[in-house]
Amino acid sequence: MAVNPLAGLGLGVGWRPEIAGLVADLPGVRFTEVVAESLHREGELPTPLAVLRARGVTVVPHGTRLSLGGAEPLDPRRVRQFVSAAATLDAPLVSEHVAFVRAGGLEAGHLLPVPRSREALRVLARNVGTLRAELDAPLALEPIAALFDWPDDEFTEAEFLTELLERTGAWLLLDVANVYANARNRGADPADLLDRLPLEQVAYLHVAGGAEHDGLYHDTHTAPTPEPVLALLRQLSARFAAERLAPPMLLERDGGYPPAAQLRAELDAIASAAGLARITPPDAPPGGQVSNTTLAGSR
Amino acid sequence: MSKPTLAARQAALVAALVAGAPVPAGFDGRLVDAAEKSLRGKRAGEVAAAWPLLAAGLGDQWHDRFRRWARGRPPRGALRDGWDLARELAFVGELPALAQAELATREVAARYDGRRDPRPRRGLVARRVRGGVAVGFLGRVHLICWRENLRIDSADRGNGLTYAWRHRGRRGDPTVAESPDR
Repeated sequence: MAVNPLAGLGLGVGWRPEIAGLVADLPGVRFTEVVAESLHREGELPTPLAVLRARGVTVVPHGTRLSLGGAEPLDPRRVRQFVSAAATLDAPLVSEHVAFVRAGGLEAGHLLPVPRSREALRVLARNVGTLRAELDAPLALEPIAALFDWPDDEFTEAEFLTELLERTGAWLLLDVANVYANARNRGADPADLLDRLPLEQVAYLHVAGGAEHDGLYHDTHTAPTPEPVLALLRQLSARFAAERLAPPMLLERDGGYPPAAQLRAELDAIASAAGLARITPPDAPPGGQVSNTTLAGSR
Repeated sequence: MSKPTLAARQAALVAALVAGAPVPAGFDGRLVDAAEKSLRGKRAGEVAAAWPLLAAGLGDQWHDRFRRWARGRPPRGALRDGWDLARELAFVGELPALAQAELATREVAARYDGRRDPRPRRGLVARRVRGGVAVGFLGRVHLICWRENLRIDSADRGNGLTYAWRHRGRRGDPTVAESPDR
Protein backbone atom coordinates (compact mmCIF):
# COMPACT_ATOMS: atom_id res chain seq x y z
CA MET A 1 0.00 0.00 0.00
CA ALA A 2 1.22 3.47 -0.86
CA VAL A 3 1.98 6.07 1.80
CA ASN A 4 -1.10 7.92 3.02
CA PRO A 5 -1.05 11.26 1.13
CA LEU A 6 -2.53 12.97 4.20
CA ALA A 7 -0.25 11.36 6.79
CA GLY A 8 0.61 13.58 9.72
CA LEU A 9 -1.87 16.37 9.01
CA GLY A 10 -3.51 16.01 12.42
CA LEU A 11 -6.91 17.49 13.21
CA GLY A 12 -8.92 19.59 10.78
CA VAL A 13 -12.40 20.97 10.38
CA GLY A 14 -14.52 21.08 7.23
CA TRP A 15 -14.39 24.51 5.61
CA ARG A 16 -17.80 26.15 5.18
CA PRO A 17 -18.42 29.85 4.41
CA GLU A 18 -20.30 30.20 7.73
CA ILE A 19 -17.23 29.25 9.77
CA ALA A 20 -14.53 30.65 7.47
CA GLY A 21 -13.42 33.08 10.18
CA LEU A 22 -13.09 30.37 12.79
CA VAL A 23 -11.06 28.15 10.46
CA ALA A 24 -8.79 31.06 9.48
CA ASP A 25 -8.10 31.71 13.18
CA LEU A 26 -6.99 28.15 13.98
CA PRO A 27 -3.21 28.48 14.28
CA GLY A 28 -2.56 24.74 14.22
CA VAL A 29 -4.79 23.72 11.32
CA ARG A 30 -2.96 21.99 8.50
CA PHE A 31 -5.83 20.49 6.56
CA THR A 32 -9.44 21.11 5.77
CA GLU A 33 -12.06 19.90 3.34
CA VAL A 34 -14.41 21.76 1.05
CA VAL A 35 -17.63 20.50 -0.54
CA ALA A 36 -16.49 20.12 -4.14
CA GLU A 37 -19.83 21.22 -5.62
CA SER A 38 -19.71 24.49 -3.69
CA LEU A 39 -16.73 25.74 -5.71
CA HIS A 40 -17.17 27.81 -8.84
CA ARG A 41 -16.47 26.11 -12.10
CA GLU A 42 -14.04 28.76 -13.32
CA GLY A 43 -11.35 27.61 -10.93
CA GLU A 44 -11.47 30.62 -8.63
CA LEU A 45 -11.43 29.89 -4.90
CA PRO A 46 -13.35 31.85 -2.27
CA THR A 47 -10.80 34.29 -0.80
CA PRO A 48 -10.59 32.68 2.68
CA LEU A 49 -9.83 29.31 1.06
CA ALA A 50 -7.21 30.86 -1.20
CA VAL A 51 -5.60 32.40 1.91
CA LEU A 52 -5.53 28.99 3.63
CA ARG A 53 -3.94 27.44 0.54
CA ALA A 54 -1.32 30.20 0.52
CA ARG A 55 -0.58 29.34 4.16
CA GLY A 56 0.15 25.79 3.03
CA VAL A 57 -3.06 24.28 4.40
CA THR A 58 -4.08 21.14 2.49
CA VAL A 59 -7.64 21.33 1.17
CA VAL A 60 -9.39 18.09 0.21
CA PRO A 61 -12.33 18.43 -2.21
CA HIS A 62 -15.18 16.35 -0.85
CA GLY A 63 -17.76 15.35 -3.46
CA THR A 64 -21.38 14.75 -2.54
CA ARG A 65 -23.18 14.67 -5.90
CA LEU A 66 -21.26 12.40 -8.23
CA SER A 67 -23.54 9.46 -7.37
CA LEU A 68 -20.75 6.88 -7.65
CA GLY A 69 -23.19 4.16 -6.59
CA GLY A 70 -25.76 5.14 -9.22
CA ALA A 71 -26.55 2.54 -11.89
CA GLU A 72 -26.79 5.35 -14.44
CA PRO A 73 -23.44 6.52 -15.87
CA LEU A 74 -21.73 9.49 -14.22
CA ASP A 75 -22.66 12.95 -15.47
CA PRO A 76 -19.57 14.14 -17.42
CA ARG A 77 -20.21 17.78 -16.40
CA ARG A 78 -20.12 16.85 -12.72
CA VAL A 79 -16.97 14.79 -13.27
CA ARG A 80 -15.30 17.76 -14.99
CA GLN A 81 -16.25 20.10 -12.15
CA PHE A 82 -14.95 17.69 -9.52
CA VAL A 83 -11.67 17.18 -11.39
CA SER A 84 -11.29 20.93 -11.84
CA ALA A 85 -11.85 21.49 -8.09
CA ALA A 86 -9.08 18.99 -7.34
CA ALA A 87 -6.74 20.74 -9.79
CA THR A 88 -7.52 24.24 -8.46
CA LEU A 89 -6.83 23.09 -4.91
CA ASP A 90 -3.75 21.09 -5.95
CA ALA A 91 -5.26 18.40 -3.73
CA PRO A 92 -3.12 15.41 -2.70
CA LEU A 93 -6.34 13.37 -2.34
CA VAL A 94 -10.05 13.73 -3.13
CA SER A 95 -13.05 12.03 -1.56
CA GLU A 96 -16.57 10.92 -2.43
CA HIS A 97 -19.20 8.58 -1.01
CA VAL A 98 -20.30 4.99 -1.40
CA ALA A 99 -23.79 6.13 -2.29
CA PHE A 100 -26.15 7.25 -5.00
CA VAL A 101 -28.06 10.54 -5.00
CA ARG A 102 -30.31 10.42 -8.08
CA ALA A 103 -32.15 7.93 -10.24
CA GLY A 104 -34.85 7.96 -12.87
CA GLY A 105 -34.53 11.73 -13.34
CA LEU A 106 -35.16 12.53 -9.67
CA GLU A 107 -32.70 14.06 -7.21
CA ALA A 108 -32.89 12.56 -3.74
CA GLY A 109 -31.17 15.56 -2.15
CA HIS A 110 -29.11 13.30 0.08
CA LEU A 111 -26.76 10.31 0.05
CA LEU A 112 -28.60 7.00 -0.30
CA PRO A 113 -27.24 3.51 0.37
CA VAL A 114 -26.52 1.03 -2.39
CA PRO A 115 -27.38 -2.64 -1.99
CA ARG A 116 -24.38 -4.64 -0.77
CA SER A 117 -24.48 -6.81 -3.88
CA ARG A 118 -22.20 -7.95 -6.70
CA GLU A 119 -24.14 -5.75 -9.10
CA ALA A 120 -23.57 -2.66 -6.94
CA LEU A 121 -19.85 -3.52 -6.70
CA ARG A 122 -19.67 -3.63 -10.50
CA VAL A 123 -21.46 -0.29 -10.79
CA LEU A 124 -19.21 1.35 -8.19
CA ALA A 125 -16.05 -0.05 -9.78
CA ARG A 126 -17.17 1.19 -13.20
CA ASN A 127 -17.98 4.70 -11.95
CA VAL A 128 -14.82 4.99 -9.88
CA GLY A 129 -12.90 3.89 -12.98
CA THR A 130 -14.56 6.63 -15.05
CA LEU A 131 -13.68 9.22 -12.43
CA ARG A 132 -10.12 8.10 -11.89
CA ALA A 133 -9.42 8.16 -15.62
CA GLU A 134 -9.84 11.97 -15.35
CA LEU A 135 -8.25 12.50 -11.92
CA ASP A 136 -4.61 13.01 -11.07
CA ALA A 137 -5.14 12.70 -7.32
CA PRO A 138 -5.91 9.49 -5.43
CA LEU A 139 -9.49 8.94 -4.27
CA ALA A 140 -10.87 8.03 -0.85
CA LEU A 141 -14.36 6.50 -0.55
CA GLU A 142 -16.59 7.20 2.43
CA PRO A 143 -19.25 4.73 3.60
CA ILE A 144 -22.41 6.65 4.55
CA ALA A 145 -24.81 6.63 7.45
CA ALA A 146 -28.01 5.03 6.19
CA LEU A 147 -31.36 4.83 7.95
CA PHE A 148 -32.33 1.69 6.05
CA ASP A 149 -30.72 -1.22 4.21
CA TRP A 150 -31.68 -2.92 0.96
CA PRO A 151 -33.66 -6.12 1.42
CA ASP A 152 -31.31 -8.43 -0.45
CA ASP A 153 -27.77 -7.66 0.70
CA GLU A 154 -25.30 -10.34 -0.34
CA PHE A 155 -22.40 -9.08 1.79
CA THR A 156 -21.82 -7.68 5.25
CA GLU A 157 -20.73 -4.05 5.28
CA ALA A 158 -17.12 -5.02 6.07
CA GLU A 159 -17.00 -7.60 3.26
CA PHE A 160 -18.55 -5.16 0.82
CA LEU A 161 -16.17 -2.32 1.67
CA THR A 162 -13.09 -4.53 1.68
CA GLU A 163 -14.00 -5.89 -1.75
CA LEU A 164 -14.77 -2.39 -3.03
CA LEU A 165 -11.40 -1.00 -1.90
CA GLU A 166 -9.63 -3.99 -3.39
CA ARG A 167 -11.35 -3.60 -6.75
CA THR A 168 -10.94 0.15 -7.01
CA GLY A 169 -7.61 0.71 -5.26
CA ALA A 170 -9.27 3.58 -3.40
CA TRP A 171 -8.45 4.79 0.10
CA LEU A 172 -11.05 4.63 2.85
CA LEU A 173 -12.53 7.76 4.39
CA LEU A 174 -13.93 6.36 7.60
CA ASP A 175 -16.64 8.41 9.28
CA VAL A 176 -16.71 7.47 12.95
CA ALA A 177 -20.12 9.07 13.40
CA ASN A 178 -21.50 7.03 10.50
CA VAL A 179 -20.13 3.83 12.00
CA TYR A 180 -21.79 4.78 15.28
CA ALA A 181 -25.09 5.75 13.64
CA ASN A 182 -25.38 2.58 11.55
CA ALA A 183 -24.49 0.28 14.43
CA ARG A 184 -26.89 2.01 16.75
CA ASN A 185 -29.78 2.03 14.27
CA ARG A 186 -29.19 -1.62 13.37
CA GLY A 187 -28.73 -2.65 16.98
CA ALA A 188 -25.16 -3.81 16.28
CA ASP A 189 -21.82 -3.27 18.00
CA PRO A 190 -19.74 -0.66 16.11
CA ALA A 191 -16.54 -2.48 17.14
CA ASP A 192 -17.59 -5.46 14.98
CA LEU A 193 -17.22 -3.37 11.83
CA LEU A 194 -13.94 -1.80 12.99
CA ASP A 195 -12.52 -5.29 13.66
CA ARG A 196 -13.12 -6.27 10.06
CA LEU A 197 -12.13 -3.17 8.08
CA PRO A 198 -8.68 -2.75 6.51
CA LEU A 199 -7.60 0.08 8.82
CA GLU A 200 -4.28 0.50 6.99
CA GLN A 201 -6.28 1.81 4.03
CA VAL A 202 -7.85 4.67 5.99
CA ALA A 203 -6.72 7.99 4.47
CA TYR A 204 -8.55 10.11 7.03
CA LEU A 205 -11.45 10.10 9.45
CA HIS A 206 -14.63 12.10 9.76
CA VAL A 207 -16.42 12.88 12.97
CA ALA A 208 -19.65 14.82 13.51
CA GLY A 209 -22.69 15.20 15.70
CA GLY A 210 -26.27 14.22 15.04
CA ALA A 211 -29.64 13.99 16.69
CA GLU A 212 -32.13 11.35 17.71
CA HIS A 213 -35.70 11.37 16.35
CA ASP A 214 -38.26 8.63 16.82
CA GLY A 215 -35.69 6.20 18.16
CA LEU A 216 -33.30 6.65 15.21
CA TYR A 217 -29.96 8.43 15.27
CA HIS A 218 -29.67 10.91 12.38
CA ASP A 219 -26.20 11.99 11.32
CA THR A 220 -27.17 15.63 10.73
CA HIS A 221 -23.82 17.41 11.25
CA THR A 222 -25.81 20.13 13.02
CA ALA A 223 -25.06 19.23 16.64
CA PRO A 224 -21.93 18.78 18.75
CA THR A 225 -20.20 15.41 18.57
CA PRO A 226 -21.89 13.33 21.28
CA GLU A 227 -19.96 11.40 23.91
CA PRO A 228 -20.63 7.91 22.45
CA VAL A 229 -19.01 9.01 19.15
CA LEU A 230 -16.02 10.42 21.07
CA ALA A 231 -15.80 7.12 22.95
CA LEU A 232 -15.75 5.21 19.66
CA LEU A 233 -13.09 7.60 18.42
CA ARG A 234 -10.95 6.86 21.50
CA GLN A 235 -11.32 3.12 20.82
CA LEU A 236 -10.43 3.53 17.17
CA SER A 237 -7.44 5.77 17.92
CA ALA A 238 -6.05 3.08 20.22
CA ARG A 239 -6.31 0.58 17.36
CA PHE A 240 -4.51 2.95 15.00
CA ALA A 241 -1.81 3.61 17.58
CA ALA A 242 -1.30 -0.16 18.02
CA GLU A 243 -0.75 -0.45 14.26
CA ARG A 244 1.48 2.64 14.23
CA LEU A 245 -0.99 4.48 12.01
CA ALA A 246 -2.10 8.06 12.56
CA PRO A 247 -4.59 9.13 9.90
CA PRO A 248 -5.74 12.73 10.21
CA MET A 249 -9.21 13.50 11.41
CA LEU A 250 -11.77 16.09 10.37
CA LEU A 251 -14.82 17.52 12.12
CA GLU A 252 -17.82 18.13 9.85
CA ARG A 253 -20.36 20.78 10.70
CA ASP A 254 -23.11 21.67 8.23
CA GLY A 255 -25.55 23.85 10.09
CA GLY A 256 -26.73 25.00 13.48
CA TYR A 257 -23.34 26.69 13.82
CA PRO A 258 -22.53 27.37 17.47
CA PRO A 259 -20.51 30.31 18.80
CA ALA A 260 -16.82 29.99 17.89
CA ALA A 261 -15.80 29.22 21.48
CA GLN A 262 -18.06 26.16 21.51
CA LEU A 263 -16.74 24.87 18.22
CA ARG A 264 -13.15 25.38 19.42
CA ALA A 265 -14.00 23.48 22.60
CA GLU A 266 -15.44 20.65 20.51
CA LEU A 267 -12.25 20.57 18.42
CA ASP A 268 -10.20 20.34 21.62
CA ALA A 269 -12.38 17.48 22.89
CA ILE A 270 -11.87 15.63 19.58
CA ALA A 271 -8.11 16.25 19.63
CA SER A 272 -7.99 14.83 23.12
CA ALA A 273 -10.10 11.76 22.21
CA ALA A 274 -8.01 11.09 19.10
CA GLY A 275 -4.67 11.73 20.78
CA LEU A 276 -3.88 14.53 18.32
CA ALA A 277 -2.38 17.96 18.98
CA ARG A 278 -4.81 20.80 19.60
CA ILE A 279 -5.22 23.24 16.72
CA THR A 280 -7.05 26.01 18.59
CA PRO A 281 -5.39 29.26 19.72
CA PRO A 282 -3.47 28.77 22.97
CA ASP A 283 -4.93 31.95 24.48
CA ALA A 284 -8.54 30.88 23.92
CA PRO A 285 -10.48 30.00 27.06
CA PRO A 286 -9.92 26.37 28.07
CA GLY A 287 -12.23 24.10 26.12
CA GLY A 288 -12.98 21.15 28.36
CA GLN A 289 -15.55 22.81 30.55
CA VAL A 290 -17.64 24.32 27.76
CA SER A 291 -17.33 21.16 25.73
CA ASN A 292 -18.64 18.88 28.41
CA THR A 293 -21.61 21.12 29.03
CA THR A 294 -22.37 21.30 25.32
CA LEU A 295 -22.08 17.58 24.79
CA ALA A 296 -24.16 16.71 27.80
CA GLY A 297 -26.80 19.18 26.67
CA SER A 298 -27.04 17.56 23.26
CA ARG A 299 -27.92 14.10 24.44
CA MET B 1 -33.55 -11.45 -16.27
CA SER B 2 -36.70 -11.56 -14.20
CA LYS B 3 -35.24 -9.33 -11.48
CA PRO B 4 -35.54 -5.59 -12.19
CA THR B 5 -32.26 -3.87 -12.94
CA LEU B 6 -30.42 -1.90 -10.27
CA ALA B 7 -31.25 1.29 -12.20
CA ALA B 8 -34.98 0.54 -12.01
CA ARG B 9 -34.80 -0.39 -8.34
CA GLN B 10 -32.86 2.77 -7.47
CA ALA B 11 -35.42 4.84 -9.39
CA ALA B 12 -38.29 3.21 -7.49
CA LEU B 13 -36.57 3.91 -4.18
CA VAL B 14 -35.91 7.57 -4.99
CA ALA B 15 -39.51 7.96 -6.17
CA ALA B 16 -40.68 6.62 -2.80
CA LEU B 17 -38.37 9.03 -0.98
CA VAL B 18 -39.17 12.23 -2.87
CA ALA B 19 -42.18 11.78 -5.12
CA GLY B 20 -44.79 10.07 -2.97
CA ALA B 21 -44.45 6.66 -4.66
CA PRO B 22 -45.05 3.52 -2.55
CA VAL B 23 -42.12 2.01 -0.67
CA PRO B 24 -40.65 -0.74 -2.92
CA ALA B 25 -41.30 -4.33 -1.81
CA GLY B 26 -38.91 -5.78 0.71
CA PHE B 27 -37.78 -2.51 2.29
CA ASP B 28 -38.59 -1.70 5.91
CA GLY B 29 -41.45 0.77 5.46
CA ARG B 30 -40.93 2.41 8.85
CA LEU B 31 -37.28 3.14 8.12
CA VAL B 32 -37.86 4.37 4.57
CA ASP B 33 -40.63 6.64 5.88
CA ALA B 34 -38.22 7.99 8.51
CA ALA B 35 -35.69 8.70 5.76
CA GLU B 36 -38.37 10.42 3.65
CA LYS B 37 -39.28 12.65 6.57
CA SER B 38 -35.66 13.38 7.28
CA LEU B 39 -35.05 14.40 3.65
CA ARG B 40 -37.89 16.93 3.85
CA GLY B 41 -36.43 18.31 7.07
CA LYS B 42 -33.04 18.74 5.42
CA ARG B 43 -34.68 20.49 2.46
CA ALA B 44 -36.51 22.83 4.82
CA GLY B 45 -33.14 23.95 6.19
CA GLU B 46 -31.62 24.41 2.74
CA VAL B 47 -34.61 26.37 1.42
CA ALA B 48 -34.61 28.54 4.55
CA ALA B 49 -30.98 29.41 3.81
CA ALA B 50 -31.83 30.35 0.21
CA TRP B 51 -35.04 32.21 1.19
CA PRO B 52 -34.25 33.68 4.61
CA LEU B 53 -37.14 36.15 4.63
CA LEU B 54 -39.67 33.56 3.55
CA ALA B 55 -38.58 31.33 6.42
CA ALA B 56 -38.37 34.23 8.88
CA GLY B 57 -41.78 35.49 7.78
CA LEU B 58 -43.35 32.15 8.60
CA GLY B 59 -41.40 31.97 11.86
CA ASP B 60 -42.33 28.98 14.01
CA GLN B 61 -44.55 27.65 11.24
CA TRP B 62 -41.75 27.42 8.70
CA HIS B 63 -40.72 23.80 9.25
CA ASP B 64 -44.24 22.39 9.36
CA ARG B 65 -45.39 24.50 6.48
CA PHE B 66 -42.45 23.56 4.28
CA ARG B 67 -42.58 19.88 5.17
CA ARG B 68 -46.27 19.71 4.34
CA TRP B 69 -45.71 21.48 1.04
CA ALA B 70 -42.71 19.29 0.13
CA ARG B 71 -44.42 15.96 0.73
CA GLY B 72 -44.47 14.12 -2.61
CA ARG B 73 -42.78 17.01 -4.46
CA PRO B 74 -39.34 16.09 -5.79
CA PRO B 75 -36.65 18.62 -4.83
CA ARG B 76 -35.76 21.10 -7.57
CA GLY B 77 -33.00 22.80 -5.63
CA ALA B 78 -33.43 25.28 -2.79
CA LEU B 79 -33.86 28.31 -5.04
CA ARG B 80 -36.70 26.80 -7.08
CA ASP B 81 -38.35 25.03 -4.14
CA GLY B 82 -38.58 28.29 -2.21
CA TRP B 83 -39.72 30.16 -5.29
CA ASP B 84 -42.52 27.68 -6.00
CA LEU B 85 -43.69 27.77 -2.40
CA ALA B 86 -43.57 31.58 -2.23
CA ARG B 87 -45.63 31.88 -5.41
CA GLU B 88 -48.21 29.43 -4.12
CA LEU B 89 -48.49 31.28 -0.83
CA ALA B 90 -48.81 34.58 -2.72
CA PHE B 91 -51.57 33.09 -4.88
CA VAL B 92 -53.65 32.16 -1.85
CA GLY B 93 -52.81 35.42 -0.08
CA GLU B 94 -50.74 33.80 2.66
CA LEU B 95 -47.30 35.07 1.76
CA PRO B 96 -45.87 36.88 4.80
CA ALA B 97 -45.07 40.53 4.24
CA LEU B 98 -41.34 40.00 4.74
CA ALA B 99 -41.36 37.38 2.03
CA GLN B 100 -43.27 39.62 -0.40
CA ALA B 101 -40.22 41.81 -0.69
CA GLU B 102 -37.99 38.79 -1.11
CA LEU B 103 -40.17 37.24 -3.80
CA ALA B 104 -40.47 40.56 -5.63
CA THR B 105 -36.71 41.04 -5.75
CA ARG B 106 -36.26 37.51 -7.09
CA GLU B 107 -38.96 38.02 -9.71
CA VAL B 108 -37.33 41.15 -11.08
CA ALA B 109 -33.83 39.66 -10.94
CA ALA B 110 -34.62 36.53 -12.93
CA ARG B 111 -37.19 34.97 -15.23
CA TYR B 112 -38.55 31.70 -13.83
CA ASP B 113 -41.15 29.68 -15.70
CA GLY B 114 -41.65 27.13 -12.92
CA ARG B 115 -40.18 24.34 -15.02
CA ARG B 116 -36.54 25.17 -15.68
CA ASP B 117 -33.88 26.92 -13.62
CA PRO B 118 -34.39 30.71 -13.40
CA ARG B 119 -32.43 32.83 -15.85
CA PRO B 120 -31.23 36.36 -15.12
CA ARG B 121 -33.25 39.16 -16.68
CA ARG B 122 -31.35 41.73 -18.70
CA GLY B 123 -33.67 44.67 -19.20
CA LEU B 124 -35.21 47.08 -16.75
CA VAL B 125 -37.98 45.42 -14.76
CA ALA B 126 -40.23 46.82 -12.08
CA ARG B 127 -42.77 45.08 -9.93
CA ARG B 128 -45.12 46.54 -7.39
CA VAL B 129 -44.96 45.29 -3.85
CA ARG B 130 -47.21 46.40 -1.05
CA GLY B 131 -46.23 49.99 -0.33
CA GLY B 132 -43.34 50.11 -2.76
CA VAL B 133 -41.71 48.91 -5.89
CA ALA B 134 -38.93 46.47 -6.76
CA VAL B 135 -36.74 47.62 -9.62
CA GLY B 136 -34.25 45.36 -11.37
CA PHE B 137 -31.65 46.32 -13.91
CA LEU B 138 -28.65 44.30 -15.13
CA GLY B 139 -28.90 41.80 -12.29
CA ARG B 140 -29.08 44.40 -9.51
CA VAL B 141 -32.29 44.86 -7.62
CA HIS B 142 -33.50 47.74 -5.50
CA LEU B 143 -36.58 47.59 -3.39
CA ILE B 144 -37.99 50.98 -2.60
CA CYS B 145 -40.75 51.29 -0.05
CA TRP B 146 -42.50 54.62 0.46
CA ARG B 147 -45.16 53.63 2.90
CA GLU B 148 -42.93 51.89 5.39
CA ASN B 149 -39.94 52.91 7.40
CA LEU B 150 -37.86 50.10 5.97
CA ARG B 151 -35.86 49.62 2.85
CA ILE B 152 -34.08 46.56 1.54
CA ASP B 153 -31.19 46.78 -0.85
CA SER B 154 -30.08 43.63 -2.47
CA ALA B 155 -27.20 42.65 -4.64
CA ASP B 156 -27.03 39.50 -6.67
CA ARG B 157 -24.22 37.20 -5.61
CA GLY B 158 -24.05 33.86 -7.32
CA ASN B 159 -27.29 31.98 -6.82
CA GLY B 160 -28.61 33.91 -3.90
CA LEU B 161 -29.40 37.45 -2.99
CA THR B 162 -27.86 39.11 -0.01
CA TYR B 163 -29.72 41.76 1.82
CA ALA B 164 -28.63 44.85 3.64
CA TRP B 165 -31.31 46.25 5.88
CA ARG B 166 -31.51 49.96 6.31
CA HIS B 167 -33.86 51.91 8.47
CA ARG B 168 -35.18 55.08 7.03
CA GLY B 169 -35.95 56.28 10.52
CA ARG B 170 -38.80 58.48 9.30
CA ARG B 171 -41.08 57.37 12.07
CA GLY B 172 -38.42 57.71 14.66
CA ASP B 173 -38.40 54.21 16.05
CA PRO B 174 -36.10 51.79 14.25
CA THR B 175 -37.15 48.92 16.51
CA VAL B 176 -40.54 48.65 14.82
CA ALA B 177 -38.92 48.22 11.46
CA GLU B 178 -39.04 44.42 11.20
CA SER B 179 -42.35 44.25 9.45
CA PRO B 180 -43.10 46.34 6.37
CA ASP B 181 -46.71 45.16 6.59
CA ARG B 182 -48.22 47.80 8.76
